[in-house]
Amino acid sequence: MVKGILRPSFPGSLSLLLILLLGACSNSNDTEKNLDSKKAPDNTAEVKAYYVANSEFFSFKGLADLPHDLVWENGSELPEFGSPNAIKGGTQYSSLQDFPRTLRHVGPDSNGSFRRWILDDVSMSVAQTHPNHSDKFFPGLATQWAVSPSRKTTYIKLNPSARWSDGEKVTADDYLFSFFFYRSTDIVAPWYNNWYSTMYTNITKYDDYTISISIPNVKPDMHARTLSLSPTPQHFYKELGDDFVERYQWRFVPTTGAYQIKPSDIKKGRSITLSKVDNWWAKDLKFWRYRFNANKIQFNIIRDNAKVFESFQRGDIDQFGLNLAEYWYDKLADDHESVAKGYIHKTTFYNQHPRPTYGLWINSSKPILNQREVRIGINHAANWGLVIEKYFRGDYERLRSTADGYGEFTHPTLTPRKFDIELALKHFALAGFTTRNEDGILVNSDQQKLAFTLTTGYEALKDVLTILKEEAAKAGLQLRIEVLDGTAAWKKAQEKKHDILFSAFGVGLEMYPRYWETYHSVNAYDQAFLADGSTNPQRKVKTQSNNLELVADPKIDAMIDRYRASSDKQEMINLAHKLDEALFDYASFSPGFKQSYFRTGYWRWIKHPEGFSQKHRSGSTQLFTYWIDQEAKKETLEARQSGLEFEPEIKVFDQYRQDSNSGS
Amino acid sequence: MFNPQTQKKINRFRQIKLGYGSLIVLTIILLVSLLAELIVNNRALIVKYEGAYFLPTYTAFHPGTDFGLDYSYETNYRELQLKLSRQQDDNWVLMPLVPFSPTENHSSGNQFKTSAPSFEQKHYLGTDTTSRDILARLLYGTRIALFFSLGFTLCVYLIGVSIGCMMGYFGGVYDLIFQRLIEIWSNIPFLYMVIIVFSVVPGNFDTTSRIILLLLVMVLFSWTSMTYFMRTETYKQKSRDYVAAARILGASHSRIIFHHILPNILSTLITLMPFTIVGAITAITALDFLGFGLPPPTPSLGELLKQGTANLRTAPWIIIAAFSTLILLLTLITFIGEALREAFDPKKFTAYR
Repeated sequence: MVKGILRPSFPGSLSLLLILLLGACSNSNDTEKNLDSKKAPDNTAEVKAYYVANSEFFSFKGLADLPHDLVWENGSELPEFGSPNAIKGGTQYSSLQDFPRTLRHVGPDSNGSFRRWILDDVSMSVAQTHPNHSDKFFPGLATQWAVSPSRKTTYIKLNPSARWSDGEKVTADDYLFSFFFYRSTDIVAPWYNNWYSTMYTNITKYDDYTISISIPNVKPDMHARTLSLSPTPQHFYKELGDDFVERYQWRFVPTTGAYQIKPSDIKKGRSITLSKVDNWWAKDLKFWRYRFNANKIQFNIIRDNAKVFESFQRGDIDQFGLNLAEYWYDKLADDHESVAKGYIHKTTFYNQHPRPTYGLWINSSKPILNQREVRIGINHAANWGLVIEKYFRGDYERLRSTADGYGEFTHPTLTPRKFDIELALKHFALAGFTTRNEDGILVNSDQQKLAFTLTTGYEALKDVLTILKEEAAKAGLQLRIEVLDGTAAWKKAQEKKHDILFSAFGVGLEMYPRYWETYHSVNAYDQAFLADGSTNPQRKVKTQSNNLELVADPKIDAMIDRYRASSDKQEMINLAHKLDEALFDYASFSPGFKQSYFRTGYWRWIKHPEGFSQKHRSGSTQLFTYWIDQEAKKETLEARQSGLEFEPEIKVFDQYRQDSNSGS
Repeated sequence: MFNPQTQKKINRFRQIKLGYGSLIVLTIILLVSLLAELIVNNRALIVKYEGAYFLPTYTAFHPGTDFGLDYSYETNYRELQLKLSRQQDDNWVLMPLVPFSPTENHSSGNQFKTSAPSFEQKHYLGTDTTSRDILARLLYGTRIALFFSLGFTLCVYLIGVSIGCMMGYFGGVYDLIFQRLIEIWSNIPFLYMVIIVFSVVPGNFDTTSRIILLLLVMVLFSWTSMTYFMRTETYKQKSRDYVAAARILGASHSRIIFHHILPNILSTLITLMPFTIVGAITAITALDFLGFGLPPPTPSLGELLKQGTANLRTAPWIIIAAFSTLILLLTLITFIGEALREAFDPKKFTAYR
């Protein structure tokens, strides 16, 4: 950066820049000095005072206060996953598109794609959803847990042998501290502040290894909320203060999981390496012992996907996702030399997981788009069938709604509107767009064109949009494609400035779909309705929320409110179906495509357990059940030199495949 | 038509075979690209239907119903041609040499994917990843790049020459202030500005206005380098006797600058021109390559290059086509520039300098 500025060839600007630079230098010197001169702060007293001040939330009791009639569970009846044959050791080589912007778990820039390697997929929580039984939990940091008869409180016995990667014990205090930490404004993470303030009502410490957690209302998936809690290392965050963002920027947070990052393994801009925690405390624990087999996982920074693929073909990278048809069929075809000679194996694995909601998100607050007939017309003018059949080569399926892949919660019969030029024209005509102009685009009596901007942040999928554009023109609809940088596109959508957005929400494994975020009027407008229920004429669009379609309908609101408050699974299912119907009627979402499997290519030395992966997994690396066979690696590399061939392996695992029309 | 000195220079340029030949070839390319709609298009050249003749190339679109088809959108003339030729009456369709538009996905098989050059399919240079004809995209892309760079050069020269000459001519405080302004201005990173400007452009801009906007942004940050040359040249000329003479005769400042000084610094201008054009073509190609150029599906050389590098092994014909076109264009322009420089070199005609 400084290099770039220090390039002045003209005396005039030099002096000006010099002043600026000097100013900048002295500033940064000051802050550094401040950091040094101030003794590292210690917030222990502050935390204690906070607990006292919020004594309703933070309770301290004795073991005697534990209810006696609890039924304890420990998930031990569940099948283990991974393979006992797994070989430990070796280094896995992988790549990242960008160097992680921080090693913090929260705060600005922390929610990047690297976080899964230091938090989501690696760290342990109290108990975790079993990858083959989405409603069952296997123990992580807990040994057993019990649910109160009111179903609002979960009692948890912690495993006393749990250790942080820096050797400290994991105790009940670290769980209490989580609430202090995530509610602190110092971490600059409003979502966490809100979630930890509103979604829980109490945490009680009975002794160092026994706690209970309470939630405000009973939900069918209450387990997920209480058992998925993870502790926060209190000793590490002693220095938490308003300089949190800078102070913790590059400090690896001690983990309960198997992999840590050593300071010497952070090579900024070039590579970052995870290495196995020495003598990891859970290495012999059921559900954990056959996983995290590689000793090290090294990520090199390769910015261009084409180059990543070249590295993979050279064997510099072990695994490569082959979800895109062009990779699966053309670039790494079955007759590709490395595949045919058995060096690289290819696998398709059918999974069950809520599907990302790819589709057109129509902003129904914009003029013209606020007419339902136009939105229905757009739905009929979007030729997803052609995209799926010809561009994705029939590999994908049509997404049904934004609530696809939730089992019983997904509407059993509702299907999206089909591409139909006549129907599209009919609906456009109902909205007043009856004549075509000289380019074939429909215009209304005010000579307004039926033309919208179609924004996306997915550069890689822009071809999908060009196909949609060509086809929509047949129905007299003009789409102007705008491909923005991912962040810019998201910003535009969050400010609700888009006409139509092509995007998807990534969805975690959850029991039931969420509607409030995307469809409730409080996320569309400030004061959408007046007291008498009529539309507020002065309502303002609400920015920075996920209601990207600006859906505001009192009936839908009422259903969402009931859905959120309901604790009865059957009622929630009925409501979810009714909501899907109402939203289908509103026609502000044109469902795109979904993929009911993942495909991956990997070198012969990467071995997978029997059955390859687990039912509810979205990628092969998520649970770290694979291992590196170093002998096979040596053998393969030698074979590549000598031309020796192995049996090719192209496998399909369809044990969890569902009938494509069954709805989930 | 020209004054004798200019005529001399032109004659000299014509004697330099390589440069003159390049100019002719480039002119042909320009003319061909101007008539691109008649050579590469999915609209027919002539349709004879029920006794009437249609020339759909440059007119409003014809819905399928005009030719007895059952749809109201733009006629698919290739299918119409096939249908009419089967019917054996005197209705017929004459298609252009390459019957594809640069944006339509036309797949010979069942999938949209790259396919190798094929005369049978009339995809003479093959298709890209979504089955669009590469020749069509190349021709229209070249046209945009060429006219973009010509427009760019014109604008940059207009601004750069005026301000540069004024700086050199008036000198003093005016020169000082403008020099400082230019120094500051040229330190603004151009690429970031393009990204920022394009992130705030309202979505309802159509492709043409976007191209013009891109042109304006590029001009806005490129005219400065031109002023340095103009300023020094004008300084030099200003002290010559003929300028003083013009002043004594009462010529206005603008007359002196544009009628007396400018013709004398023309050689610098003209020799720089090819480099500016090359720079513009490279810049727009690079911007497209990085994804900050023209909105898809506008055909562009940069986008083709990008596809080509991503599909180097599976579809080498993309990169070959795009790369050779780019090389051809840049080489032609460089040759012309070299010849121009030689022809306009003042040392040929003046004894001192």
